Amino acid sequence: MSAAELRRRPDLLLAGAAIAVVVFGALTTDGFATSSNFKAILASVGILGIVAVGMTAITLSGNLFSLSLGVTVTVASMTFLAWLDLGLVPAMLATIAFATAICALQGVLVATLGANPIIVTIAAGSLQLGGAAKFTNGATVYPDGGGFSWLADNVGGIPVSVFILAGLVVTVDLFLRFSRIGQELYLAGENRLAARAAALRVTRTTVLAFAIAGACAGVGGILLGAASKNAVLIGGGDLYTFKAIAAVLVGGVVVTGGRGSAARTVLGALFIAAISDLLLLRGYSTGIQTLVVGVFVLLAIVAMQMRRSRVA
Amino acid sequence: MSALKAALTRFRHGGNVTVVATFATMAIVFYVVPTLEGKDVELTSVYSALQTFAAYGLLALAVGLGLIAAQFDLSVLGMFALGGMVAVKTGGDAPLLGVVLAAGVGVVSGVVQGSIVARFKLNSMSVSLGGYLVLLGLAQAIGSNESVPYADVTVGIELDEPILEIFSWRSLAVLAVFAVFGLLLRYTRLGRDIRAVGGDERASRIAGVRVNAVLIGVFAVSGLLAGLAGALNSYSLASAVPDPGFSPLVFAATAALIGGVAFVGGRGSALGIALGALALSLLQAMFGILASPEWVSSAVTGALLALAAVVAAPRLGEHWAAARARWRSARSA
Repeated sequence: MSAAELRRRPDLLLAGAAIAVVVFGALTTDGFATSSNFKAILASVGILGIVAVGMTAITLSGNLFSLSLGVTVTVASMTFLAWLDLGLVPAMLATIAFATAICALQGVLVATLGANPIIVTIAAGSLQLGGAAKFTNGATVYPDGGGFSWLADNVGGIPVSVFILAGLVVTVDLFLRFSRIGQELYLAGENRLAARAAALRVTRTTVLAFAIAGACAGVGGILLGAASKNAVLIGGGDLYTFKAIAAVLVGGVVVTGGRGSAARTVLGALFIAAISDLLLLRGYSTGIQTLVVGVFVLLAIVAMQMRRSRVA
Repeated sequence: MSALKAALTRFRHGGNVTVVATFATMAIVFYVVPTLEGKDVELTSVYSALQTFAAYGLLALAVGLGLIAAQFDLSVLGMFALGGMVAVKTGGDAPLLGVVLAAGVGVVSGVVQGSIVARFKLNSMSVSLGGYLVLLGLAQAIGSNESVPYADVTVGIELDEPILEIFSWRSLAVLAVFAVFGLLLRYTRLGRDIRAVGGDERASRIAGVRVNAVLIGVFAVSGLLAGLAGALNSYSLASAVPDPGFSPLVFAATAALIGGVAFVGGRGSALGIALGALALSLLQAMFGILASPEWVSSAVTGALLALAAVVAAPRLGEHWAAARARWRSARSA
C-alpha cells in the first residue's frame, strides 16, 4: 500500500491508534490484557454500538445527528417491557416498528420541508419524554411477561447484544454499499444539491436514514429493557445519544455526510470502550473517562479534517 | 415620519413582529387559561416566571448568539454544570470570586473551542460535542459525581429575595446582561459582524470581516454566559449538580428560535431572544398555576419547537406555492 493511499484511509490511522492504546494498556496496566477484560470491553460496546450504527445512517445521509436517539432507546425499552403480554416476538416486532415510525416521521419533516434535523430531533425528544411521562406517570416500567432473559445472556462469555451488533453492522453496511437506494444515500450525503439535480431520491434517502436509526434504537431498547428488566425515564437516555455521536466522530465518519461506514463507527465505539476500560482499571472516575472521550473526539475530528484538506 | 417608517420596515424585516406577537400571545395565554380554569393569576406567578427566566435566560442568550453566527454550541450544557461546580467550590467565602472564576473558565473553554472551529474550519456541533464531554467530565470529576452543597445558603436567599414583588436580584442581573448585549449588538460593529459571519462566512471574509476573531469571540461569550448561568443557578439552589441533563439546552434552543433567531444564521437580536425566553418562562409558570403534570410542559415545549422548525423550514414555501398553483389550475379547469 502506497503512502498516498495510506493517507486517504483514516480508518487505518484509527486502527493504529487503537492498537497503540491496547499495547500501551497491556504493557503498563495489570489486568488489561486478559481475555475476561477484552470480553468486558466487547460487552460494553453492545447496545451503544447498535445505537451508534443507527446514528451513522443519519450522519451519512447528510443530516448531521439526531439529538434524541437515546430518548427513543429509553422509550423503546419501555414499550418492549409493557408489550411483553402480547408475547415475546410480537413485543419485539411492535417495539422495532414503533421506534422506526417515530424516527421515520422526523425524517419526513426533515426531508419534505427541509426542516433542520437538529431542531426536529430535539423537539421530537421533548415530545417523546412528555409522552412517556404521561403513559408511565413517571413510574418505573416492569416486564409484563417473561421469556426474554436469553436476550441478556452470554454466549461463550460474550453478550447476545454483541452478536446482534455484528449482524447489524454487516447488514447495514452491505445494504448501504450495494443497494441502489443505499448508494443514493451516500451521494445525497456527499452533495445534496448535486444529488437533487441528478434526480436522486433525496427525500427517500433521508426518511430511510432516520428509519434505520429508529430500527437500531428499537433493537437497542429491547436489549436494554431485557438487560435491566425495568425501564425508567430518569436521564432520558441522553448519554446514549452523546456517546453514539462520539463513536461516529471518533470512527472518522465525515460529519457533513457521504463518507464513512457503520463498521468504522463500531471501531470508534470499540476504541472509546478500550480507553474507558483502561482508565477504569487505572482507578480513574467516570468523570475523567468522559473528559478523555471528549478529548479524543476533538483529536479525531481535527485529524480527519487535516487529512482531508491535505488530500484535497 | 420617514424615520419612523424606516424603523418600522426594519422592525418588520427583522422578523420582530412574529416574535412580539408570539410573546404577546403567550402573555395572554398565561393570564387567560388559568382564569378560565378558575385559578387566580397572581404576581407571584410572574415572579416565578422571571425566576425561570433567570435560571435559563443566559443559556438562551449563549445559544442564540452562537446561532446568529451560524454556530451551534452544545458545550453550553457542560459549561453550565462546570460553572456551578467552580462557583460552589471557590466561592465559599467570596461569592463574587466564584462567579468571576466560573465565567473565566467559560471564556477559556470558549476560546479553545472557537479557535479549533475557526482554525480547522470544523463543524461547530462536532467540536462543541467534544467540548461538552470534556466540560461535563470535569464537572463530574470535581464533584466526584455527586451534588456539592454550597456553604453559604444566605447568598441564594438574598439573590432570590423578591424585589417589587416580581423581580429578584438574580432576574434583574440577567435582564441587565441582556440589556448590555442588546446595546452591543445594536450599536457596535460587533453585531453587524456577527450577523454577517452567520449570514455568509465566505462573503464576510472577502469583505474584510475578521471572521476567525468573530467566531472565537462568539464561542468565548457563549462560554462566559453559560459559566455565569451555572454559577448563579448553583448559588440559588445552594448546591451544584454534576449533570443538569438535557432540558436546559431544550429551553435555550426553543427560546432562541421563538425569539426570531434563524438556525441557519445571520438573523436575530438580544431583545428577541429575551422575549423568546420570557415567553417560554411564562408558559412554564402557567403550567405551575394549573398544577399540570410534568409531561405537559415537556410535550408543549416539544410541540412549540417542532412548530418553529416547520415554520422556518425553507421548503415549506415551495410546497405552499405548489399547492396553491394546483388549487388554482383545478379551479380554472
